[in-house]
Amino acid sequence: MNAFDEFNPLSVFVYFLAAAGIAMFASDPVLLSLSMLGSVLLYCIRTRSSQRGTHLFSLMLFIGLSLINPLFQHNGVTVLFVLNDNPVTLEALLYGISAAAMIVSVLYWFRSFSAIITSDKLLYLFGLVSSKLALLVSMALRYVPLFKAQAKNVDAAQRAMGQYREDNVIDAIRLKLSVFSIMVSWALENGIVTADSMAARGYGIGKRTCFSPYRFRGKDALLTILTLLSGAAVCILMGLGHLDFNYYPATDPLLFTPARAAAYGAYLLLCLLPSLIEIGDALKWQYLRSKM
Amino acid sequence: MRPIKNPRLRKLIRFAVPWVLMPGLVALGIAVFHEKRYAFISLCLAVLSVVLFASGFDKKKTGTRRLVIVSVLTALSIVGRFIPFFKPVTALTVLTGMYLGAESGFLTGSLTAALSNFYFGQGPWTPFQMLSWGMIGFVAGLLASPLKKSRILLLVYGVFAGVLYSFIMDIWTVVWYNGSFHLSLYLTALVSAVPYTVSYVLSNVFFLLLFARPFGEKLERMRVKYGV
Repeated sequence: MNAFDEFNPLSVFVYFLAAAGIAMFASDPVLLSLSMLGSVLLYCIRTRSSQRGTHLFSLMLFIGLSLINPLFQHNGVTVLFVLNDNPVTLEALLYGISAAAMIVSVLYWFRSFSAIITSDKLLYLFGLVSSKLALLVSMALRYVPLFKAQAKNVDAAQRAMGQYREDNVIDAIRLKLSVFSIMVSWALENGIVTADSMAARGYGIGKRTCFSPYRFRGKDALLTILTLLSGAAVCILMGLGHLDFNYYPATDPLLFTPARAAAYGAYLLLCLLPSLIEIGDALKWQYLRSKM
Repeated sequence: MRPIKNPRLRKLIRFAVPWVLMPGLVALGIAVFHEKRYAFISLCLAVLSVVLFASGFDKKKTGTRRLVIVSVLTALSIVGRFIPFFKPVTALTVLTGMYLGAESGFLTGSLTAALSNFYFGQGPWTPFQMLSWGMIGFVAGLLASPLKKSRILLLVYGVFAGVLYSFIMDIWTVVWYNGSFHLSLYLTALVSAVPYTVSYVLSNVFFLLLFARPFGEKLERMRVKYGV
């Protein structure tokens, strides 16, 4: 299932910027819960809950981060118990939980982001900023596997010459060093040849453009508009102070004012957008298959 | 995108970003946000300066050879980042800054951070990593002539860069977790990061000691032979 991958990278990028960005600067517990819900749901749908280890790691991280804050922060009016003459307060624990929720949910957003925005899409995004930068990035990304393969060849050739003993640490380091030194010379010379070849073919004569296989279609525009509208609504309400939530000295009561309800609704829509797209696409397939 | 033709304006931007705009934004953050939500300011700052540098690169007339060499060095340090525990990334960034100029050093450092994180995990720390590695390369470029002359000074810079990198990244960790700066949390983060700091410092010194002469010679040869 990857209906969300099919959208224009720019729309997807803006989406993740809005969803994760709001989570990073929110202090309201409901907003953070919504971010957690949306990010985990998207990740589970995309990986079909096959990543048990990742979820376990996130859970441990969540617990660890929640418990760090009350050990160092002794603000707050509700003392739970006293540890080494320092009070451990409920407020500090709640703040720790909210900070942990923020970090873990942002990590989940970024996991999905890395899986969806692959290096070719990143190149497209770089190209929107600067075509020269995009070329630089694409060459660097191409060189990584090339250098790995060449390093393997050089390593094999050096070993075959028999100057390095197999079970000797110092010889192993010497081997690695000479491989690296050879690689640097080779890579630099290779780079110059590439550059000369580019120049010979007319690089740098005209204005550079960047190849892009991505179109900006109606559905991309719709996604971007929905993202921007809901994101802007939350940001404006946040900027006006309607979503302020203080943990110290006593946690604020959660009052459902109209402004808060509107912000929650907008952020809920924002967080669930990709999951809804994925589910809608899956349902469409199901429907088409059952008709056949 | 229209190129900035005025050389004085370009020079102004290149100096205003690290020395004026960044401290200014931090001061603004303290005044407006009352030291809360530092993370927002930090992130803005990092993204802004990296974008400014990148766009400055596009507007400058950069030779094709120079462009290719920067991408070669970036790829080399990305490959180097796969070595467990000992990372030659900072050493390579410093050497690039020294021999190819401050801007190339910044680009190599920041692009290495951005691209290698596709293998090591992207996250909100990416812009900050880009900024710290970029600045390490940038400053090495500014200090190029004393660093080339004295080996001791180069190693001191390596130690300084390793410690600074760790300290900067820990500021980010604390600010992100806590929303504002908290000294005892920061100290805990620093203490828990000691193995990493030691590994940064050791690998910087180790690789600078090892690479400074051969790598420097190779880059110098590039410069003499091909005029990069």
